[in-house]
This record gives sequence, C-alpha cells and structure tokens, in this order.
Amino acid sequence: MSMAANPLYEIRGLTCSYGEDPVLLIDRLDIFPGGPTAFIGHNGSGKSTLLKTLAFLLKPLSGTIRFLGGDTEGRERGLRREATLLLQDPYLLRRSVFENIAYGLRARGDTRSLRDRVAEALEMVGLPPDFAKREWFQLSGGESRRVAIASRLVLRTKVLLLDEPTANVDEENALLIADGVKNAWSKGGTVPIVASHDLQWLEGLCARRVTLRRGKIESPAPGGDDHPPAAPSGSTGNRGPAPVR
Amino acid sequence: MDYLADGFFKGISLIFSMEEEVWTAVFTTLRLSALSMLVTLALGVPFGFLLGYCTFPGRKLLRVTVDTLLSIPTVVVGLFVYAFISNRGPLGQFGLLFTIPGMAIGQTILALPIVTALTASAVESMDSRLRFTLLTLGAGGKRLILSTLWETRHQILLAAVTAYGRITAEVGVSMMIGGNIKWHTRTITTAITLETGKGEFSTGIALGLLLLALSFILNWSLLFLRRRSEA
Repeated sequence: MSMAANPLYEIRGLTCSYGEDPVLLIDRLDIFPGGPTAFIGHNGSGKSTLLKTLAFLLKPLSGTIRFLGGDTEGRERGLRREATLLLQDPYLLRRSVFENIAYGLRARGDTRSLRDRVAEALEMVGLPPDFAKREWFQLSGGESRRVAIASRLVLRTKVLLLDEPTANVDEENALLIADGVKNAWSKGGTVPIVASHDLQWLEGLCARRVTLRRGKIESPAPGGDDHPPAAPSGSTGNRGPAPVR
Repeated sequence: MDYLADGFFKGISLIFSMEEEVWTAVFTTLRLSALSMLVTLALGVPFGFLLGYCTFPGRKLLRVTVDTLLSIPTVVVGLFVYAFISNRGPLGQFGLLFTIPGMAIGQTILALPIVTALTASAVESMDSRLRFTLLTLGAGGKRLILSTLWETRHQILLAAVTAYGRITAEVGVSMMIGGNIKWHTRTITTAITLETGKGEFSTGIALGLLLLALSFILNWSLLFLRRRSEA
C-alpha cells in the first residue's frame, strides 16, 4: 500500500528581512523527508537566511512555516530541538570536545550513556573516541568543523541543517564530512538539508536540489511536475527521491 | 643610599624570620581583599552581564556612569563611606568604622565598577555565533544565560584579577575607614605608609616586596587568562 509522505516543511508566502529590504521571498516550498536536500545558489542568494529560518532561529517577517504538519508560530523553542543547524563558520564552545558534543544532550536532560554516544558521534565523522579529551583550542579548522557536526549528529534530531559545511576545509575533511552527513541519514534517520556552493561535493550526496537566486526559488519552478515520494513502508522512511516543490 | 640597601636586606630577613607584625598585615590584606572580592563578584558579574546583554532605556547612561566610576579616587570613596558609617552617619549604628567589613564596603565600591564594566565589555564583544549555537543545540532560558556567562569566564576572571590588583594596592580606603590599627586593620599598604613615615625602611621594604610578589602572581595569571580568552 502506498500513500504520499507528509512534507517535513511547508513554506507559504515567506518573507525574511534584516532591514527594510527583504532578503528572502518564497511563495511556496515543500521539503519532504525522503533524503538529503541541497540548497544551491550564489553568495547572497538567501541560502543561509533560509537555513536559519528553517532552524527556527530567525523569525520571518511574514508567511508561514509548517513543520511535520503542525504550526510553528510560538513553538520555536521546542522545535529547535527537532531541527539543528551547523553555521557556515561553526562556533565551538570553549570547553573539551566531549563537553561540546554532550552539550545538546545535557540541554535536553538526556544524559544516558553519554560516553558511548559521544564516541559514536565522533566515529560518524571519522574521529577516534579519545579525541573527546581534547580542548577546543587544540583543534585544526577541519577537526573543529567535524566536532561541530558530531555535536549535532549525537542529538539525532529530525533535521540537520548544514550551511556550507565544506567551506575552508581540505579534500580529506570534506570527504569525512560527507560520510558524517550520509551516516546521519542512513544510521540516524536524520534528514540533512545542506546549503553549498560545492556542486562536486554534493554529487552523490543530495539528489534533491533547490536553486535560489536573489532570495527567490529559481528551480524547481513552483508548481512544477515534482511529486512527493511514496510513503515509507514501516517506520524508517523512504530512501527514494523526495522532490522539493 | 646605604640605608636603602640595609633596609632591603633587613626586609628579606623579616620575611623569612616570619616576623609577626609583617605577616599580620599580609593576612589582614588577604582577608580584607577576599571579603571585598566575594561581594564584588556576587554583585558585579550579574550586573555587568545585564548591562552587556540586555537593552533597556537608560542603558547607555548607566554604561557611561560605570565607566566613569572606574577612575574614582580612593580617598573620595573613603570620604563617602566614612561619612556613611561613622557614628553620625546613617549606618553608624552598625559599628563598621575601623573594622574589616567597613573597609570591605569601601573596597567593594572601588572594585565593583571594574568587574561590572569589564564583564559588560566581555559580554558585548561576545562572538555573535555563540547565541545561535547555544539555541540550535537546544539551550534556552537559564541554561542559555549560564552558558553565555561560562563562555566569557576567562574575561570575567580577567576582570576579577584586575579588580583584585586595584584593591590590594589602594591606601585611601584602608587608611580612612580602617584607621591603620595594628593587629586589626593594618594592611600591607597602610603599614608601608606608616613605617616609611617612621623611617623604618626595612619593614616597609619587606611589605613592599610581598606586595610586589602578589602583583607578580596576579600579572602572571593575567597573561595566562588573556591568552585563554583570545584562543
């Protein structure tokens, strides 16, 4: 039996602005939970603003966002625990790698088997368990980024939003980050949504792509012929293509 | 100049012979500064955080006032506190004049603007990504505030060490409020003033060396904290 999967996000008439001029104008966008999605576009196209809005960190000027079929207005604090964002230039808390990764779990009051879960998250980004002992100032740029990703992966949120995750990292680190993102989806069931310039890196990682230009969706065209994916059989979700409309 | 060299060697021997008068002044200084710092940090850190983190009407005026108080002369503080806690003052009934708690009030007034202003500056100059990071990791309410404070801990310690340096080196408040009473309220700085006036250079030099040692330790920790806060 097959039925259409519910969208993860349903965006209608969204306008975001940092001043008077809007930086994001999206009439309609649905994002389905069928697999990783990429936002591509030039600098200033609105990708980062869109990710912050989807992470419930920015309040839109107007429009609505529905998350998993529910209204989001006034529920931002709780919803932030379902959609976590890795900033373009991630900030590591001034504490050990272990404490950085455990922070989100502690914030949720979920401190079961912390050591094992931190080690597992480190493994997902290609770092050994004893890396947890290092202090924040002992890490290279690529390592910092991988630790920042691990601190999101450990939370097993419904959505993992990544803003330019490969900016200023070498090829080896970029591949390890890609593995982490794939693991988030395949092992954790977390839906990655990535904003990136790096089309080569996105190749094989995100089948679904949304192109943004000057704050608007350029492709796929609103009302195009994409369809939502078939419903997941069982509870793990469909791994097939999940179009973005 | 022989008396200076003579005083220097006598001073060294006074330190190592554990001369009671010298060490009582040192312990009084440490007790007094510990009490002053305790109150200063309890008031200054939250006040500085509010001043740096929140926006409210009159914030700028308050910020400028706190910055102005950074350079308040110690004798002016001594004069006002004396007026308040002397027998004729509104707090005269508490018998705080010529006591360590009385001196601590004056030193707290001296140190409070330092901790408040430096904490506010630390919070104002906080990395803008910190708030987003804490929020997206699931922090909110009390945890958001405490985590923000924890992230600025090195700068706050830097503020505390700077304030500690100011109060251990001051003479005005200790002399006017404490009265320089031997075995009771005599601190390192008031003892140096007195001994120098009496021509007893050796005791003054011994105390001066101990004060310099304290200052060296403070500056060493400042160096470490600066490096950490910039990492």
